[in-house]
Amino acid sequence: MSEPILEINHLTTSFRIKDEHYAAVDDVSLTVNKNELLAIVGESGCGKSALAFSIMRLHNRAKIEGEIKFKGQNIAGFNTSQLNALRGKDMGMIFQDPLTALNPLMMIGDQIGEILLIHNKNLSVNKRKGRVIELLNKVGIPGAEHVYNQFPHELSGGMRQRVVIAMAIANNPELLIADEPTTALDVTIQSQILDLMKELKEESQAGVILITHDLGVVAEMADRVAVMYAGQIVEIADVYTLFENPLHPYTRSLLNSVPTANEEQSKLHVIQGVVPSLQNLPREGCRFSARIPWISESAHEKNPVLHEVSPGHFVRCTCYKDFHFPDGQKEEHNHVIS
Amino acid sequence: MSFLEVNDLKVHFPIRGGFFGGTQGYVKAVDGVSFSIEKGKTYGLVGESGSGKTTTGRAIIGLNKITSGKVLFDGQEITDLHRASKDIRRDIQMIFQDPYSSLNPKKRVSDIIAEPLRNYEKLTKGEEQKRVQELLELVGLSPESSLKYPHEFSGGQRQRIGIARAIALKPKLIIADEPVSALDVSVQAQVLNFMQDIQKELGLTYLFISHDLGVIKHMCDEIGIMYKGRYVESGTKEDIFNNPQHIYTKRLVAAIPDINPRNRSQHLQFRQEVKKEYEQAFNKYFDSEGLAYQLQPVSNTHLVALPEKG
Repeated sequence: MSEPILEINHLTTSFRIKDEHYAAVDDVSLTVNKNELLAIVGESGCGKSALAFSIMRLHNRAKIEGEIKFKGQNIAGFNTSQLNALRGKDMGMIFQDPLTALNPLMMIGDQIGEILLIHNKNLSVNKRKGRVIELLNKVGIPGAEHVYNQFPHELSGGMRQRVVIAMAIANNPELLIADEPTTALDVTIQSQILDLMKELKEESQAGVILITHDLGVVAEMADRVAVMYAGQIVEIADVYTLFENPLHPYTRSLLNSVPTANEEQSKLHVIQGVVPSLQNLPREGCRFSARIPWISESAHEKNPVLHEVSPGHFVRCTCYKDFHFPDGQKEEHNHVIS
Repeated sequence: MSFLEVNDLKVHFPIRGGFFGGTQGYVKAVDGVSFSIEKGKTYGLVGESGSGKTTTGRAIIGLNKITSGKVLFDGQEITDLHRASKDIRRDIQMIFQDPYSSLNPKKRVSDIIAEPLRNYEKLTKGEEQKRVQELLELVGLSPESSLKYPHEFSGGQRQRIGIARAIALKPKLIIADEPVSALDVSVQAQVLNFMQDIQKELGLTYLFISHDLGVIKHMCDEIGIMYKGRYVESGTKEDIFNNPQHIYTKRLVAAIPDINPRNRSQHLQFRQEVKKEYEQAFNKYFDSEGLAYQLQPVSNTHLVALPEKG
């Protein structure tokens, strides 16, 4: 049945700031199965992108501890050439900003062709071109022959993101990591790109990690959702459970702060305070406690761990049992679901 | 008489080229836009990037030159802001999209907020300080913030500094150009709530420019949808969201992600149907150049761009 493509065990990524290491990703464990889309949600500064970059090993100065098992092998110990054999072949990545992700001086055809060439030196020039055109057609770019000879600046944002996707899927990767793929795009283009990603996932049976802060996108796309706060996973569940029975105060606060197009709300919920910066991260106790000060100290655990409340649904800390919104604030998302 | 009235506004940018750098043609960024806003209301201007919504906002406040058309503010014509009285300019203020680039990094917060005051009011140092403190309190920043520099603040706090600057002169109309697009949902909620609070407190009128229909629905009373410099539909919030008539509006509404995962496949099907309809009916809704037709009234409040006798 479900076959794990990626297994992360106790992954900690820390950065050195003034002779001390600070963990941006703190003891994260998760799995991604074949043909499964795992969404990672959180505010900026929660460590979502740091996690994605750690999996692809794109940080060059970070200290990485723990296991990253890709198809059974621990790639955390791989050297650069071993990694290069994987990156762009078995693992693809879609970046947030399609303009900075593309080389402005290279024609589209050459950029996509380069990825094919690196992983298959024997591919003839003609075959390569044929494959690039095939890819451009696959991601829905009209006039592929023409676009082949164009430069990134000649394309619109949506088309550029399609090119980035074409590059990511060029070698049929088994794991695709998409870091905020639609944040820079308009809403109509966003829905096209998301539909395309879904189609490609179904077709290739790849495992996908989708990083986003847009809960609407999560609801449309994900099979399972992990909510990150301050470097830790605070809640993980399948998408239906997460939207219908969110437990962690952070998840509930996030859901409540979204202005939905379906519901009339007079007042949006505001999460007090900000995500603590890396250096000011509390190392002990519940990291979210500072933002819900009306919940008593005793509701939190000393060393919060993930509790399995129902099969596959994990919540960190015990504070969810006592959590309620401050007086006078309704919880809105239950109305949306019912 | 409406508070702000925009009549057949056009903003065309010349395309220069050729050997002598002559004008080769025009980019019609805004091509005949008309709308009006009542006092104390929020009007939403929606469109994709490149639709001309920002240019419209900037033209009203005088940051882009108006090619033709009229802008009436509180009964006075302000189409040519240089000739309009100076008081008008203090009554219209703007909140910019990017809180990172709209604040001068070399100035302290107190100087940023005091700048409009220095331009229009002759205050002593002490009075000015007092006003700045009041404004900081109003936007919920600590009094010590006045000595800090913009980089010491988070995105939401910076946007509030931008808002403090915009309301320093007690304006009547605020043009908010994608004020929350660069912010996280939780911070976005904070800024939106705050904008609603000061609207009530100060009796402000907003022109709210955004591409996010969720935010627009939350904030606005009336909405105009733009496409390639023209209006495709305008009406009240209910008209646009419950009874969209133009295929482009339908498409925009269909593209909003549904927050309920159970509706997923149904929503996908709906989106594909609308997309199909959009492709088939494109020629019916747009003229030979792919531009929208003139607006035709559907009801008292609801206008849709349809071909005549269509």
